[in-house]
Amino acid sequence: MIIVKQAYRKACLFWERSMVIKMKKNKSSISSTKNKNSLQYHAMVLPGMVFLIIFGYLPMFGLIMAFQDFVPAKGLFGSQFVGLKHFTYMFTLPDIGRVIRNTLIIALGKIILGMLLSIAFSILLNEIRMKFLKKTVQTIVYLPHFLSWVVLAAVAMNLFNIDGSVNQIIASLGFEKINFLGSNNVFRKLLIGTDVWKEFGYNSVVYLAAITGIDAGLHEAAAIDGASWWKRVWHITIPGMLPIILLMTAMNLTSVLSAGFDQIYNLYSPIVYEVSDVLDTYIYRIGLVGRQYSFGAAVGLCRSIVALIMLVGANKITEKLTNQRIY
Amino acid sequence: MRKKFFRKAAALTLAAVTALSLAACGGGGGNNDSSAGAGGDAPAADPADREKVTITMGRQTTADPKFPEGDNYEDNAYIRMVEQELNVDIVDQFEANNGDDYNRQVSLALSAGELPDIMKVASKDELTELYENELIADLTDVYENYASDYIKGLYDSFDGRALADVTYDGKLMALPATASDAGPGMFWVRSDWAETLGLKIDEDGDRFVTLDEVKAVAQAFIDGNPENVDKMVGMAFDPALTATSSDNANMINTIAYSVGAYPRHWYEDESGELVYGSTTDEMKQALSIVRDWYQEGIIDEQLGTRTWDDITSLLVNGQCGIVFGSWHVPDWLLNNVYTLNNKAVYEPYVVVNSEGKVNCTHYKATGEFVVVSADFEYPEIAIQILNLIYDDMMTSPELLEKYPEVDSYLKEGVDGTARPYNIEVKSSTYLLEEYAELKAALDGQATKEEISSAEERTNYDAIKAYQEGSGELTGWCKIHSRCKGVDMLTYLNDSDVYNWITPVYPQTTMTMKTNWANLQTLEEESFIKIVTGTEDLDASFDTFVSNWKSQGGDTIASEIKEQMGN
Amino acid sequence: MLDNKSTGSKIRNVVIHIIVIGLGLICLLPMINIVAISFSGSAAVSANRVGLVPVDFTALAYKRIVEDSQFWHSFGISVVRVVLTLALNLVITVPMAYAMTRSKGEFPARNLYMNLLIFAMLFNGGMIPTYIVVKNLHLLNTIWSLILPGAVPVFSVILLMNFFKGVPKALEEAAIIDGASQFQVLLQIMVPCAKPSIATVSLFSIVGSWNDFFGGLIYMQRVEDYPIMTYIQSLNIDLQELVKNAANSAALENVAELSNRNLNAAKIVVAVIPLLLIYPFLQRYLISGLVMGSVKE
Repeated sequence: MIIVKQAYRKACLFWERSMVIKMKKNKSSISSTKNKNSLQYHAMVLPGMVFLIIFGYLPMFGLIMAFQDFVPAKGLFGSQFVGLKHFTYMFTLPDIGRVIRNTLIIALGKIILGMLLSIAFSILLNEIRMKFLKKTVQTIVYLPHFLSWVVLAAVAMNLFNIDGSVNQIIASLGFEKINFLGSNNVFRKLLIGTDVWKEFGYNSVVYLAAITGIDAGLHEAAAIDGASWWKRVWHITIPGMLPIILLMTAMNLTSVLSAGFDQIYNLYSPIVYEVSDVLDTYIYRIGLVGRQYSFGAAVGLCRSIVALIMLVGANKITEKLTNQRIY
Repeated sequence: MRKKFFRKAAALTLAAVTALSLAACGGGGGNNDSSAGAGGDAPAADPADREKVTITMGRQTTADPKFPEGDNYEDNAYIRMVEQELNVDIVDQFEANNGDDYNRQVSLALSAGELPDIMKVASKDELTELYENELIADLTDVYENYASDYIKGLYDSFDGRALADVTYDGKLMALPATASDAGPGMFWVRSDWAETLGLKIDEDGDRFVTLDEVKAVAQAFIDGNPENVDKMVGMAFDPALTATSSDNANMINTIAYSVGAYPRHWYEDESGELVYGSTTDEMKQALSIVRDWYQEGIIDEQLGTRTWDDITSLLVNGQCGIVFGSWHVPDWLLNNVYTLNNKAVYEPYVVVNSEGKVNCTHYKATGEFVVVSADFEYPEIAIQILNLIYDDMMTSPELLEKYPEVDSYLKEGVDGTARPYNIEVKSSTYLLEEYAELKAALDGQATKEEISSAEERTNYDAIKAYQEGSGELTGWCKIHSRCKGVDMLTYLNDSDVYNWITPVYPQTTMTMKTNWANLQTLEEESFIKIVTGTEDLDASFDTFVSNWKSQGGDTIASEIKEQMGN
Repeated sequence: MLDNKSTGSKIRNVVIHIIVIGLGLICLLPMINIVAISFSGSAAVSANRVGLVPVDFTALAYKRIVEDSQFWHSFGISVVRVVLTLALNLVITVPMAYAMTRSKGEFPARNLYMNLLIFAMLFNGGMIPTYIVVKNLHLLNTIWSLILPGAVPVFSVILLMNFFKGVPKALEEAAIIDGASQFQVLLQIMVPCAKPSIATVSLFSIVGSWNDFFGGLIYMQRVEDYPIMTYIQSLNIDLQELVKNAANSAALENVAELSNRNLNAAKIVVAVIPLLLIYPFLQRYLISGLVMGSVKE
């Protein structure tokens, strides 16, 4: 706020000083100003657009290869068109079913558990009165969000490998060691768990802001009426957070097709492909490392189109529900 | 508005066309004279006579190459030697670590149509793809004209299997790395126990045993319990039971091979029909033996749940005195036993079939390849590099005298990825040859300096120290793996008892891509159930075979036949 | 609160404190573990004996990092990358966002541009075509390949746009009447007003480009040109191999080679330090920026 005020003051000074100059000027025609402005706006947008066209739009022509048997030596123009061959082939592959299933399970697991924990955490944190403790905990739980999965994967591998600290604790409690990183029963849970761990703190920020926005008078009145803490959370806090919860749900659901490439790429290995191979890792492995360029492009195109439809849908829904738009 | 948009769209398309068409002709690299394979007429092309040639390469690297200070992949002793000897300048188009990283770089280079002049490819599938897209040069003539007799001899020691792998339509398309056979899975026995128990394992001293003798040893160990442990285990196996090579440790391969079953291998049977070893009658017989032993208590009662580490602890704790595995198991498995119990001594034996022969499958002779871009003007240089590194450097001391830094690289164990090609080209019997030199030195018939391999020189020191009473682990390991393991291989080779099977190593077929993992699981689960279960053997094995065939096995077999037909 | 004297509420308070502190610890302990590993002797590390306190305390790993030229080379590449990316992002996004606040009447092409922006955020040509473009522009193996493809962070444009919309119209009109050009309005009024949100998008840019590893994997053809996170990622592979081979013979051989796990841990710690240095700003601006972006508007 202070900054805005300062700017305002500066602007006022600027205005006063220039009054004199303005007096001397002739009135310029409105339309010419408008054209001049428009040109200036174009100039402002131009540098960004150049980059966007080169690195955003130009590569989209490469999607043509999804409809070809793309042979690099022949290029996009020399390769043979095969219509929807790769798309129909895709749906005959048992791999695809597995990959889609993994993507949905992992992404939904992360979204649902992540939201529940963030909401719960923000409600609990709001109860903490000790300023220092509250600040310290916030500082700590926000931190993982800012760290790269490259770093966190190393941390996780040190902790969760078969002889790692976590397994030593498990063993010392008399249980059998768990091969977290190499077991098809556990690995998916590990992915969901570590992602929730990384993001719950940061995601709670929004919910915390929503809670502080709730009228404190409501709580006081309810408390006077003898409502217990649970009741107040259930009937006042949560309803008060509902618009944000809905908004976040809609936003999160748009990412249901991206189950977290960085995380999975850095943690998985062939023995757990069965449960952790998701669309993005599959596209990378088949389309890039496996050199099935056209097939990879076809899967990628399908993924992008579905994601686009979901985002547009989610945007419509949130607009209806909350009068806000995601973009 | 609308007009404007269309004009923009048109401009965009134009830009796209330009940028992407660049990609299309990028592969040409400007050098369109088709001189690939041209060396044919001029075998004497002396590197000094032509201008300095710049070669771009795709190099496979490793995380810790152990370079001396200041050296790197593009500029190190090997590269400097090659550059000077062959009058070339080597530039790395890309460098990446083995595995995914390397494959990604190859794929990216390929997608942009810009292959390096020379690069390594790590799979047969990739090689085939490069050949089919006409991206790599035919090396038939340059190999014929330039490869040294020594190099040709190395490849020929594989009886044609090495070069056949890289020959398409009669054309030699790559220089293959070679993988030498590791011989049979041996029967390693705690000989100190046998001595304690007064057990004679191999009375006639021919170092061969039969399955009955194997069983007898296991029974004797169980009854004798030489280290007074709670529970003795005759022999223990990994839950997977079988492995893809003849010699993997803790597998029933050794037992299966002795009855003529070759699990997980494709091969042509006597009638010339392609079969999958795990589905044969011999395999059923092998399983029935294991099943009987299991029921008699010779085999670990926890078979199927015992992990690799569990088996290692059985060995270390003195509960089990038998290991099946290749000549090198002492180096990485039995060493654990010695670490905790320095009285442990092992002796290897070989299990023979009913005719007294040793059944053994050949390894896949090649698996990695060096290819030359179809656009490269001087394919003969690829062969000259091969000669220099795998012939001259190994065979001529003068070269190493001229390049002492290369010599020190070899001695100090700088990683092999430093060489221009990260492949090994050795004769099929190099193990035996290197061992012969080591043995001569150990026996005092030669000096240590006469051992040509740096690794064996190190082994020599370790063994000598152990014999002089150091008791160090490395010495114990090398005595076991070399003086017992490789010594056995030499013995087998000399006594001509091998019955070699040459399996078909197929490329990954379409159905394999989708069904193979499931088929493997089916196989492993069925076998373990058959061995530990109580159901009728014939019925359950037949069920497995018919399931295996119907779940894609038959399709894969016909796909492989088609491959072989080509 | 009013009922904070009853026993029930006291117990509740204790439980809440325990849970909150517990969650804090769960986030903290893994970090402490990696720091402890970095300060431990390599034997203790390969035997997995390090928990929260260094075992056989040694700063040897850090001494080795000081001499590790590859590490600092990668570190330097990342620093340059972050600085250049930040400058480019700001030069592009700030004017763009401002132009996007104009109404259709003021700037007829506004909606076309906006749609182009949004569509580019939602849809892309994939890795291979982008790679081909980067290659044909001869950017491979240069730092520009790590910077230019991400020159227009659309999300930041939208965030700034929303903030600019909140600046009182009166300020701008006053300047216009004074004959200021749109560029002057932007630089002299909008930018000073929007400092907090510019800080927010700057931090997005810094964190994003510091943490990215995939660009380096694709566009850098040699390990020596890797930016820091790609370099760290290539170290992780060693550890992954161990996991892969957990049931395999090779694992037993690899254990000996993995004794440099403490060194790798130290590299990770050093690679995170730049982020920790700006962390106070991250907390202040990124979080307030996020709330601003999603709650208010």
